[in-house]
Amino acid sequence: MPNQNTYTLPFVVLALLLIFCFLGNISLGSVSIPLSSVFKSLFTSIENESWQYIILNYRLPKAFTAILVGSGLGISGLLMQTLFRNPLAGPFVLGISSGASLGVAIAILGAGIFGGSLATLLLSKWSVVLAASLGSFLVLLSVLAVSLKVRDTMAILIIGLMFGSITAAVVSVLAYFSSAEQLQQYIFWGFGSLGNLSWNELLIFFCIYLLGLVMSIVSIKALNTLLLGENYAKSLGLNINRSRFIIIIATSLLAGTITAFAGPIAFIGLAIPHIVRQVFTTSNHKVLLPAVFLLGAIVMLICDSIAQLPTSDYTLPINAITSLIGAPVVIWLLVRKRKMMF
Amino acid sequence: MKKLFLFITLLGFVACKNEPKTIDNSKQDIVISDFKYAKGFHITSNKNFKVLTIKNPWPKAEKSYKYALVNRNILPTITLNKNEFDGIIPTPVEKIVVTSTTHIPALELLGVEQTLVGFPGTDYVSSEKTRALIDNENIRELGKNEGINTEVLLELQPEVVVGFGIDGNNKTFETIKKSGIPVIYNGDWVEASPLAKAEWIKFFGVLFNKTVKADSIFNTIEKNYNEAKQLASKVKRTPTVLSGALHKDVWYLPSGTSPEAQLLKDANVNYLWQNTSAEGSLALSFEAVFTKAKNADIWLSPSYYNSLESLKNANEHYTEFDAFKNKKVYSFVNVTGATGGVTYYEKGTARPDLVLKDIIKVCHPNILPSYETYFFKPLE
Repeated sequence: MPNQNTYTLPFVVLALLLIFCFLGNISLGSVSIPLSSVFKSLFTSIENESWQYIILNYRLPKAFTAILVGSGLGISGLLMQTLFRNPLAGPFVLGISSGASLGVAIAILGAGIFGGSLATLLLSKWSVVLAASLGSFLVLLSVLAVSLKVRDTMAILIIGLMFGSITAAVVSVLAYFSSAEQLQQYIFWGFGSLGNLSWNELLIFFCIYLLGLVMSIVSIKALNTLLLGENYAKSLGLNINRSRFIIIIATSLLAGTITAFAGPIAFIGLAIPHIVRQVFTTSNHKVLLPAVFLLGAIVMLICDSIAQLPTSDYTLPINAITSLIGAPVVIWLLVRKRKMMF
Repeated sequence: MKKLFLFITLLGFVACKNEPKTIDNSKQDIVISDFKYAKGFHITSNKNFKVLTIKNPWPKAEKSYKYALVNRNILPTITLNKNEFDGIIPTPVEKIVVTSTTHIPALELLGVEQTLVGFPGTDYVSSEKTRALIDNENIRELGKNEGINTEVLLELQPEVVVGFGIDGNNKTFETIKKSGIPVIYNGDWVEASPLAKAEWIKFFGVLFNKTVKADSIFNTIEKNYNEAKQLASKVKRTPTVLSGALHKDVWYLPSGTSPEAQLLKDANVNYLWQNTSAEGSLALSFEAVFTKAKNADIWLSPSYYNSLESLKNANEHYTEFDAFKNKKVYSFVNVTGATGGVTYYEKGTARPDLVLKDIIKVCHPNILPSYETYFFKPLE
């Protein structure tokens, strides 16, 4: 009972902050649109057709995408850090994003190698999505299979990095034999992007995301128990293998789908769980998971607003902003507080 | 005393005679050829050889390159200081390697395409003449730019390699130079205007002892270009023009100081970013482009998209532009050679007169009623 009272206020603050950042995000962009017009266009139509379209079809889907990406990557990172009992675990570190990148590389760069008729099929947008999801799932499955044999968590981390190196090498070979146009498409995919999803695509994204989110919520009890150690968890009646499998599926769905639709976005998955642990000073996933959801969404909305360089005609890659903000924050937090809430 | 006077007088006569001779030599032996538009190179003619100087092989180049061009008939009799030049090249060149498709039209216009012995990325070549030479294996595949197959190139023993540089760092070219084969950097891509780029045919003319022909060809292109420009300048209605496309969140299009913008200006159209100035492309946000160009009349060169369907599939935002709705989207990507090379990338540099007439035809259909576009076709 006292705990619940302690956490109510921070969650209220985070929820309000999320709403504020969401409204801020849809109000900011290259084109200066007055605040009154922004809100008016949400409930009725405004005279300027371009503004109406920009807000309803560009900024609004982009803001929702930012929420899904930020919260999803944060939750994915949280699950992996707990599952592998490793504070450095994250979609990038354990090779999920590398696997997705390999999948996309095969889809985009491999199109020319595999021939014309297959190329047309492979280059459709949905193939890229499927390829990224499949790639991330296979790599994570491989990491898990290895982790069954290797108990040392640091060794598993290094093995994850090695999987990343393997996929990078394969991508390099594919890149070498690709045309300039294919390379360009692949490199731009790698910059990350929140602004290219239509409402239809966003809906599909949301459905897959929701599945991953539900599986994460179902896993909360298992995650808490896993922190006690596998042997102790078994004695409490937890089915280790089944729980581990569900957590991996959830992580793959979240990180893989996000990478598929928005490209590899760095540092959110690693940084957000640590920030939340420092702020909430708890290991209970009933608190951590919703907090990571909220803070991940907030940070991604802020990063996207910055990347848009409001009132400038130019934009920055979202990946650059998340890394520039995420890395110093984690360093500062860890140096300042030293102890790991883990 | 008398003898001394005579000696001094004689010395004076000898000195006077030498001086006019020197002046005459200077006037006779040195001729500098500057060019009307191209700023990246110039040619100096001496009695026995010419000096080709490449002043601007890449943007902000800090060094220029000098090459001695010696007629092969007298090459054995000439002694040149090798340290003074970046290469000594016998003319007319009999075996050449070029590394950009933009170099090939110059060879063909001069009638010397049979001297080409190697090219990196032969699939990119779209010209039928040169494709025939490739298919007959007269032109060897050299792999990739930035990764030319050095062994194959050395085996071909070309007399000169015409490369292009981005920043002067290309280890392959250094290896080729060390083997004794001169590498000349062609900087046509750095030039600021369409006619300046086309004028680089004179660079090839001097290599093949065909300077008169090169001058004549360029003069014809220039005349055609200026006539088309004059014709377009009389039109009163100037349609608004959008260009480029999104790559993820960024829309790339030509800046107002680019050669592409120059062509649009000379075609007398209202390119919406004519007043911008930047080296290379502009990289703008979707919002900025959409607000400014939603109602544009014509959309030129939407990146690599080859149909309205592919534009729509790539991004639904594209379908909101008036030019898309009215099917006024034109691109050069569908005009290709047998192996997929885009003709515009190859021939557009050498023939700005054709490009200009294409744009005029697209934007002012009435003033060139019988002209059929060479590069730009409507997307369907």
